[in-house]
Amino acid sequence: MAAAKPDPIPDFLETSRKGVADADLRRKLENSTGRHLEHVAHMRAEFPGYDGERDVARRIKEDAIGRLDELLIELKQKLEANGCTVFVAADAAEARDYIIKIARKASARHVVKGKSMTTEEIDLNPALQAAGMEVVETDLGEYIVQLRRERPSHIITPAIHLSKEDIGQLFADQLGIAYTAEPEALTAAARERLRSIFLGADLGVTGVNFAIAETGTLVLIENEGNGRLTSTLPETFIAVMGIEKVIPKLADLSHFLEILARTGTGQKLTTYTNFISGPRREGELDGPRAMHVVILDNGRSAMLADPVMREALYCLRCGACLNVCPVYRRIGGHAYNSPYPGPIGSIVSPNLFGSAAAKLPFASTLCGACRDICPVKIDIPRILLHLRWKETQAQPPTKWPADARRTRAGVRRFARMARHPRTLRLLSRIGGWMLRPFARDRYLRRMPGPFKNWTRWGRDFPAPGARRRKPRGEG
Amino acid sequence: MPEVRLFATCLVEEFYPSVIESAALVLERLKLKVRPLRSAFCCAQAPFNEGLRDEAVDLARRFLKSCEPGTPVVIPSGSCTSMVKIFYSDLLADDPALAKKAAAMRPWLFEFSQFLVNVLKVKYVGARFDRTAVYHPACHLTRELRVVDEPRLLLGAVQNLRMVDFRNPEECCGFGGAFSVKLPHISAAMVEDKIVRIKESGATAVIANDCGCLMQIGGALHRQGLQVETFHLAEVLAAR
Amino acid sequence: MSAFHKIIATVKSAIERSPRTAPPAHPASPGVIVPVTHDARRAELISQFARELEAVGGAFLGIFSPDEVRARTVALARDIGAHTAAIGAGVTLDTAAVARALEQAGIAVIRPGASGDAERASYRERLAGCDLGIVEANAGIAATGTLAVIGTSASPNSLTLLPPANLIIVNADRMRADLAAAVSAIGAETFTTKRVALITGPSRTADIEKMIVLGVHGPRKLYALAIWPNEV
Ligand code: SF4
Repeated sequence: MAAAKPDPIPDFLETSRKGVADADLRRKLENSTGRHLEHVAHMRAEFPGYDGERDVARRIKEDAIGRLDELLIELKQKLEANGCTVFVAADAAEARDYIIKIARKASARHVVKGKSMTTEEIDLNPALQAAGMEVVETDLGEYIVQLRRERPSHIITPAIHLSKEDIGQLFADQLGIAYTAEPEALTAAARERLRSIFLGADLGVTGVNFAIAETGTLVLIENEGNGRLTSTLPETFIAVMGIEKVIPKLADLSHFLEILARTGTGQKLTTYTNFISGPRREGELDGPRAMHVVILDNGRSAMLADPVMREALYCLRCGACLNVCPVYRRIGGHAYNSPYPGPIGSIVSPNLFGSAAAKLPFASTLCGACRDICPVKIDIPRILLHLRWKETQAQPPTKWPADARRTRAGVRRFARMARHPRTLRLLSRIGGWMLRPFARDRYLRRMPGPFKNWTRWGRDFPAPGARRRKPRGEG
Repeated sequence: MPEVRLFATCLVEEFYPSVIESAALVLERLKLKVRPLRSAFCCAQAPFNEGLRDEAVDLARRFLKSCEPGTPVVIPSGSCTSMVKIFYSDLLADDPALAKKAAAMRPWLFEFSQFLVNVLKVKYVGARFDRTAVYHPACHLTRELRVVDEPRLLLGAVQNLRMVDFRNPEECCGFGGAFSVKLPHISAAMVEDKIVRIKESGATAVIANDCGCLMQIGGALHRQGLQVETFHLAEVLAAR
Repeated sequence: MSAFHKIIATVKSAIERSPRTAPPAHPASPGVIVPVTHDARRAELISQFARELEAVGGAFLGIFSPDEVRARTVALARDIGAHTAAIGAGVTLDTAAVARALEQAGIAVIRPGASGDAERASYRERLAGCDLGIVEANAGIAATGTLAVIGTSASPNSLTLLPPANLIIVNADRMRADLAAAVSAIGAETFTTKRVALITGPSRTADIEKMIVLGVHGPRKLYALAIWPNEV
């Protein structure tokens, strides 16, 4: 069977323009992310150990990533000793093929999925469907976006771009229930649907938050209980994780849990923290008969080899950097055309998807809000700068539109001239004289050249040198 | 009389000459001898943020050549101060000699409000400014330099100035250098929302210590025809 | 070289390009400094637990002696109008006695049985249709209002997953101050051989406009009670 040709990835400039033009979307994002930030601020204020735990958690990650080879060997051994089958996949295709092989061997027809960004990354759902299986996302937010045939727009809150009215309409259309915008009623309707799907499922697939090498235990964190159901009810269970998820010891875990929910969802702890070490044991009444763990590289070891990039592997996928990001809050997650949107997406996606995501590191003012909220203090702005520099070296060069190319050329020209301050001062004085007649109370309404986009997009331009006299004390 | 160097920064030279005059005046009133640092024009942030490292290194070299440890350099911008104080160590990592100079210079580089409050230990500079204003905390100032209280302390001591709060003040205004024209739609959306919040506050003035923010916020306020003016902190502190 | 070893080799050579960092020294989890009596400490932990549990939408029924637990459980089952209850084997409590008390009160009881395919399927079906699941937790966490529940053949995981309401019992002696203390009390051995779930309140979601709704997939109601062990 010929695989369907993947749609070309749309351009970030285009999709982000759509994002900002959607006033409704921006209002929804502002409300939801704002609510999250309030919860987080509250949690941080009442937990004095917060910052200390962040440092400890970060150091554990530094240590773990610094000896990832040993830890992966240990993890694999321990998982196998606990009865799991472990497969290490070099890339997305290998991971997909393996999962489909297992699914076929188990004669699986009905697949339930817990929330997993890693399976989004490897585009697992279309592959399973192409292999003839029915795939249902069971996290409420994921279920909603799946019904809409969309991708999640946030790594924690997949349907953050939708209002309760949107979801009410969707459920009325697709589930045939009477229209309601009551979150309680909508949730109840989804619960009923999904419960019967769970009871009939023969394969469960979830992601992994932490993998403890010492004990061979996977830790799954969630609020809904769908991850527990997915890993407990079907006869076959597959957990998919990136190589960076491994931590050395059981005792390390609490340091992450103390900060992860506080930053990710504004809770002290999520409702369920599930520890899964293996399949059903002799005499047990539930749990899968077979458990597989797919450990995925897919570009991560290349990130590891880059000393600046490396710390991106500490990410806990808490989603807080998205909520605090002024760019994400204006354009929404779909604009990024990647399963990983927002600041973390902008540093990870170019490594995973190459030139298709090369523009993302430029989608930032380097304001640093992401680094400040990050539970493991990932220096995202520094990595963005690093990736920008790499982008300028890329062969073939990224396809930028003419105005962006002009901007870069303009910055380069300016930088070269700025090596000769005297000449530059003279030139800018001449430029100022030329522009001044067009100024109205010290501002220009229209600018040429690299500044064209400034005045075209809602801002007047200060007339060069017009602001000479300092203001006076009277109002 | 102790001497300080005052580095104007490119945005001030091009668009806000009154800022450098004001900053010099404030420092002189505090009995300092102010010597402008004119042999450099730009801190290198513009090319650095665009990924143009080679061009940035050239400008950093130029900047470092024009100053010496031992004499403080005062910069009326959080962003440019972050560049020379923090980002130089990444930028110059491959050039040990320059990196060494940058490290030696680091303790002598100060953002304007940082210098006044932490080094000179002053809060009251005799300013009077009759406005109702919000203070916009610039991103690099706040999150790179961690200068949070200093500008507020200085503004608190200005006679007749009424400071009011606005929602989510720390969120970026959307300037971001080349970002503002490279991704102009996002940049404009950011400042648009910032202005909504400024309007709610009832302020007639916006004060910040970074000319990038002033250009962005001022430009958008002016386009919308709003009667809200923008000022640099130095201008406010120089007013009487 | 196998595919696995190839990836390990890649990872290894990647690591070698920049230096390793020493593992962190773990700070001791903040314990109690002021010595208090055992009873006072236990009571304090339980009241903190109760507060935290209520904050996440759970209900704390109180502290009871092992004998009182039976009557309180029956009363709860009556209050919520339960016709059937499923119960797992206790950790410190004789849950068989609780089961008998429920039956005497006219409530049907589902007990875990044999593990053949047919028995497992029918057990699951009955769990999905029952009104209340009852288990005893292995440990409690005061700081977060959390119950650590361990799945065994005599107390399967599904008990805290399929029924619409749960009663989780915890022995006061097994209440720990924080997560780190609870995890170390349960011990690494248990984590490798059993499924452990830390449960903090009823199942919930915030996927619709970040508004909290309880009972999305798991139980909508979570009741907890503490046993005050008989002194010897
Ligand atoms: S980068 Fe940090 S804040 Fe962003 S998702 Fe990862 S852990 Fe969370």
